[in-house]
Amino acid sequence: MVSAFGALSAQAPAESRSVWDGVYTEEQAKRGEPIYQKECASCHGDLLTGGESAPPLTGGAFQANWNGLTLGDLFDRIRKTMPQRAPGRLTRQQDADVLAFLLSVNKFPAGKDELYRQSEMLKEIRFETKKPATKN
Amino acid sequence: MVAKDTVIIGAAFREGMTPRSMRNNKGYVRGFDVRTGKRLWIFHTIPKKGEFGYDTWEKGSAEYTGNTGVWTQITVDEQLGLVYLPVESPTSDFYGGHRPGNNLFGETLVCVDLKTGQRKWHFQLVHHPLWDMDISSAPILADITVDGRLIKAVAQPSKQGFLYVFDRVTGKPIWPIPERPVEVGDVPGEWYSPTQPIPTKPPAYSRNGVSIDDLIDFTPLLRERAKEIAEKYHLGSVYTPPTVSKLERPLGTLTLGTASGGTNWPGGSYDPETHVAYLYACNSCIEPIGLVPSPKEISDLNYIAGTAGKEVEILRGPGENAGADSQRPPKKRPRSQWVPLNIDGLPLVKPPYGTITAINLDKGEFVWQVAHGETPDVVRNSDLLQGLTIPRTGQETYNVGTLVTKSLVIAGEAQVTTTADHPRGAMLRAYDKATGKEVGAVYMPGPQSGSPMTYMVHGKQYIVVAVSGGPYSGEYIAYTLPSEGE
Repeated sequence: MVSAFGALSAQAPAESRSVWDGVYTEEQAKRGEPIYQKECASCHGDLLTGGESAPPLTGGAFQANWNGLTLGDLFDRIRKTMPQRAPGRLTRQQDADVLAFLLSVNKFPAGKDELYRQSEMLKEIRFETKKPATKN
Repeated sequence: MVAKDTVIIGAAFREGMTPRSMRNNKGYVRGFDVRTGKRLWIFHTIPKKGEFGYDTWEKGSAEYTGNTGVWTQITVDEQLGLVYLPVESPTSDFYGGHRPGNNLFGETLVCVDLKTGQRKWHFQLVHHPLWDMDISSAPILADITVDGRLIKAVAQPSKQGFLYVFDRVTGKPIWPIPERPVEVGDVPGEWYSPTQPIPTKPPAYSRNGVSIDDLIDFTPLLRERAKEIAEKYHLGSVYTPPTVSKLERPLGTLTLGTASGGTNWPGGSYDPETHVAYLYACNSCIEPIGLVPSPKEISDLNYIAGTAGKEVEILRGPGENAGADSQRPPKKRPRSQWVPLNIDGLPLVKPPYGTITAINLDKGEFVWQVAHGETPDVVRNSDLLQGLTIPRTGQETYNVGTLVTKSLVIAGEAQVTTTADHPRGAMLRAYDKATGKEVGAVYMPGPQSGSPMTYMVHGKQYIVVAVSGGPYSGEYIAYTLPSEGE
């Protein structure tokens, strides 16, 4: 039953992908880290734990906030409102790299392909807090 | 605050955990004529030479120490013509070595005359403040009956979970608030008050210290893992002072009921008919307080908040770095010494994480206390807790308050959850104010911020809630019952 379900999900169409499917690369997360430290860390904390002026970007409350939405929603939030002192200043590539870094810190698995830079395509990837039973 | 013909204004400062200097502006409170704008009075929250309290700042430290403002709501009794000022901490929040002495009127409830600003009475809640226990919410006016005697009282909620109740004319505590010995620390250059005032009634309504018994205990293994983390810190009861952060331990003092504990800016509610106060409190807002020697290029203080092994950085407050004065953030910092204060996402301390407490002010006793807020997703879905039945835990936040009506206490949740009963969102909950029993809940698309408010339009009652957080941008949502025929 478990293996049958696993086989199914391997062939599943794009819209059923989630953050557990290896949707970014380690390389990309590494590129995102210095951008995060430069652009985001002074408010969100260098360990993503948040501060008085900004919410955490890791942990239970963060994951509950985005659970059931898509990476496109999170990407748009970053793209349209961040960094606070100059929203939209970063390129789509930089935003995607920062998002990859967030995913890696939140222990979602890396994969072979980099994250998309288009919100429409990122909207096909669900943000799910709970690891599916069939995934390792 | 506008009361009768007077506008009263306090002062708000940048976050005081890592100030650049022991010298700062002073948070005086001023009264202005509402018609002419003429200044009527000024109250020196740090006394000037010759004024009462100047000698509580040894070595002339009143001259240069700053902050000590009133950033939260001010309360006025217009009939009595009295103003109640809840004063915050002096510079700096966690190190007071440059301001030896008790430091009046830091963390003091001060009553002044509405017309003249003259001090009528004061009560310092915390001597020589070291824990960021700013008095952070509005003093509550309460006309109560104690042992058959009618008393005009003022009740002050606090981060440290004490509700301080005074006769608001005389400043005399309704129930004794004796000085009790507290731990004296050993941070170089620090000055310590050997005692602090501890109310005898009502009992503390939220945690204000950390002991092993407070740690997570869903399973013995979780308790063991929590102990491993807690053992890196100094633990103790209320007013256990901060330590110097050391790699070999302690990394600092692990505290509850300090910077973001208990009741914060949303404050409490009071029912004038039943004389019951309702207080939301964070019961799990854990704060490690460690001090590190300050690099001279960061600050002229000997010590500021920080953790051993981590580059010292300025901690920022709301709105900072959002304007023309924004600076480049410091370079990348090592993360080797970071100790997460959770266990695979589970809070380090046991529930309840957040509570609402009903306190009878005629008796100084609890009527009821409930965990407020759905159990967080991270707890409900944890693999470590499979098979366990966990009663509702409440939620960790310092950003929500209550509304009391004729029959209900209403408060929303500050965290988003996704449950079998509702999609991703937060609930606005109503409790029977007499018993604390939940009588209903409605769905909100985002978490509550601050306290709900109620109003009437054309005979119809509405409840309005400020909602924002995570993916949800801020907006007000008003709820009402369907009209007949709807």
